[in-house]
Amino acid sequence: MSNSRGTIGRRSLLLAAAAALAARGARGEEGIVDALGRLIALKAPAQRIVLGFNYEEYTAVAGPAGWDRVVGFSKALWSGWRPSIYARYLVPIPRLAELTDVGNTEDNNFSLERVLSLRPDLVVMAEWSFKVLAEPVRQLEALGIPVMVIDYNAEIPKRHVASTIALGKATGNAERARNLASLYTNKMADIARRVGDAVIRPKAYVELGQGGADTIGNTYWKGMWGRLLEFAGAENIAAGRLPGAGAWGPLNPEYVIAANPDAIFIAGSSWVGRPDAVLTGFGADIATTRARLAPYAKRQGWSELTAIRDGQLFAIEHGLCRALFDYTATYFIAKQLYPDRFSDIDPVAELRRYHEQFLPVKFEGCWMARLAPERA
Amino acid sequence: MSDTAAGPVAAWRAANLRRATLSLIGGALLLVSFSADVATGPAMLPISAVVRSLAGLGADPMLDAIVHNLRLPIALMAVVVGATLGVSGAIMQTVLNNPLASSYTLGISAGAGFGAALAILVGGELPLPENWAIPLAAFVFAGVACAIVGSVGRMRGATPELLILAGIACLFLFQALLSLLQFLASPEALQQIVFWLFGSLLRASMGKTAIVAGVLAVALPLLLKDAWRLTALKLGDERARALGVHVNGLRLRAFVVVSLLTGAAVAFVGTIGFIGLVAPHIARMMVGEDQRHMLPASAVFGALLLSLASLASKLIMPGTVFPIGIITALIGVPFFGWLVLTTGRVQ
Repeated sequence: MSNSRGTIGRRSLLLAAAAALAARGARGEEGIVDALGRLIALKAPAQRIVLGFNYEEYTAVAGPAGWDRVVGFSKALWSGWRPSIYARYLVPIPRLAELTDVGNTEDNNFSLERVLSLRPDLVVMAEWSFKVLAEPVRQLEALGIPVMVIDYNAEIPKRHVASTIALGKATGNAERARNLASLYTNKMADIARRVGDAVIRPKAYVELGQGGADTIGNTYWKGMWGRLLEFAGAENIAAGRLPGAGAWGPLNPEYVIAANPDAIFIAGSSWVGRPDAVLTGFGADIATTRARLAPYAKRQGWSELTAIRDGQLFAIEHGLCRALFDYTATYFIAKQLYPDRFSDIDPVAELRRYHEQFLPVKFEGCWMARLAPERA
Repeated sequence: MSDTAAGPVAAWRAANLRRATLSLIGGALLLVSFSADVATGPAMLPISAVVRSLAGLGADPMLDAIVHNLRLPIALMAVVVGATLGVSGAIMQTVLNNPLASSYTLGISAGAGFGAALAILVGGELPLPENWAIPLAAFVFAGVACAIVGSVGRMRGATPELLILAGIACLFLFQALLSLLQFLASPEALQQIVFWLFGSLLRASMGKTAIVAGVLAVALPLLLKDAWRLTALKLGDERARALGVHVNGLRLRAFVVVSLLTGAAVAFVGTIGFIGLVAPHIARMMVGEDQRHMLPASAVFGALLLSLASLASKLIMPGTVFPIGIITALIGVPFFGWLVLTTGRVQ
C-alpha cells in the first residue's frame, strides 16, 4: 500500500541527506567535532591512537588497516564482553593479540600511566568513560594529547553520526565515514517514517539474558535498548520505573507480569562462564539460541503473558544496542511490533549486508531470533 | 630481672638504643619501599630514566608526567595515609584500652563511606567538582560520626566501654544508611560507591597528599604533647587519675584529633582496612608501650605497610592495579592472626 510512496520518500530523503552531508564536507575538512560537540585539535590523521571502545565502529570506518594506527585499547571490553566477536576480528586483524591493554573504567583499572607510555597522539574514549575520567583527561590535554569522545551508548542519532564522522576524520577516512553515517541516518529515517503514524503502540520489554531465566536481568530505558524501543515505536514498560538516571536496572518481576508486554526481547551474547546466558552472535546456531531462550517462557506467571501466548519472545544480540549497525536491531524490534509495515524488511539481511560492505569478517551465526511458538 | 644486674641507667640506654635502631631500620625499609613504589609501574620505565626525571633532568614531558603526576603522588599518598592510619589506630587502641580498636570500630570510616556515597549519589547537583565534593563529604561525615560518639562520651563519662558501645552503634547506623543509599543508587552510581569503598590510591594528587600531610603534621605534635598522659592511661583509669591525668578530657581530646586524622586519610583514598589495626601492634612489639616512641613508630610502620601494599598492588597482576583495600586486608589478616596467636603463647 504505502510501499511505492515509501520508496520514493526514502530515495528523496537519502538524496537530501547526502547533499547536506556533502555540503558540510566541502565547507570544512579541517575541524573535528566529537560526539559531545568538543573541538578536537588534531592537524593530520592520528598515527598513534589509544582506542577506548566501539571497536567494530572503528573497524567499519577505518578498515582493518586502520588498526595499524592503534597503539592501545581496553581489551577486556572486547575480548571479555564479546569473546566470539573478538575472536572473529582477530583473524583479519592479528595485531589485536599484541596490542597493549590500557584497562578500562568499568573494571576500575584504566591506567593513565600505560596510556602515556604508549605516546599516543589521540585518545578516543566512550562518553561513559570520559565522564568518570575528568582528572586523567585534564592531564592528557595538559600534555597536548587530544581526547576525542565517541558515544553510541546514548543512542542519540546525532551522536552516532558525530562519532562516526569524527572517527573518519581522525583516521583519514572521512569519505567512508560519511557513507556510513548517511546509511545510518537513512535507515533511521525509514524506520521513523514507517512507525511514525502508529496510534496504538505495542508494549515491549527488553531484558539482559546474561544470567539465564532464573536471574532477573537489567532492562533499559534512557539509553541503549530503551532508546531503540522508542525508535521502533514501542511502549517501553520500563519507562519511569528505573532508579537513578533511569538508564538501566532490573524491574520487579511482578511488575513485568502486571504490565503484560506484547513482545519480549532477551538480549543475548557470547559471554564467558555464563552457561545459562542466551547465546547469540557469530558462534551461535539458532537451535542453541532457542534452547537457551526457552526457559524464559516458563518463568513464573509468564505463560499467561500476551507476548508468550502470541509467540512474541525473541533473542537479540546485546552488542547490537550501542553500535552503528543498531538500526538492524531497531528494524528487528519494529518488524515484530508492526509486521505489516515492515514486511519487505529483512533485518538479518540488513546486518549481513552491513558486514559485507564495511566489516572484514563474514556474517554468520544467530543474532536475532524468535522462540518458535509451541503449537499444540 | 636483668635490669637490676646491669643497672637501671644502662638498661634504659640499651632500650633507647634498641628503639633507635629499630626505628632506623623501619625508616630505611620505608625509604626502600617508597623508592621501589616510584620505580615500578605499567609503563616499565628504566630506573635511570625515573631517577633523571626525579632530579629534574628529564627532557621528555611524557615521562615527567608519568613520574611526577602519576607515580609520585601515589607513592607519597601511600606513605602519608599509612602513617596517618597508623597513628590514629595507635591512639584509638590506647585511649580505648582495647587492642582491637581502630577507626573502623568507632564507625568513623563507616561515616566517611556514607558521606562519600551521598556525594556520589547527588553528584551533579553539588556546587563543587566531584573530585573534591566526595572527599569533603567523607571528611564531614567522619566528623559527624565522631561527634555522635563524642557527645555520648561527654554526657555519660568517656569510659572506654561506653565509647566503644557508642562507636559500634554508630558503625551500624552508618552501615545501614550506606546500604540504603546503595539500594537507591542507579547502577552506575552503585559501581562508583563500591569502587570508593574498595579504597584506591589512584585518586591521589600532590594537592591532596599535601592536605593529609598537613593534618598529620598538626595532629602528631598535639598528640605527642599528651604522650606522657596517654602512657599513664595505659596503666588504667584509676592509676592515671592518681597521677593527675584528667582521664575523660584527655580521652575526648585524643578522640577528636584521631577523627580528624582518620577523616583526612579516608576521605581521599577510601576505606583502606587493617593498617590502623596492625601498624600499632607492630610498633608496640618493636618499641614498647611508651607513647613517645610508639606514636612515631606506628606512623613509620603504617607508612611502610601501605607503601608495600601499593607496590604489591602493581606487581600482583602487572598491568592492572589490584584494589589496595583488598591487599591490605589480605596481608593484614594472616599477620594479625599470627600476632594474636604468638602473643597468646607468650602470656
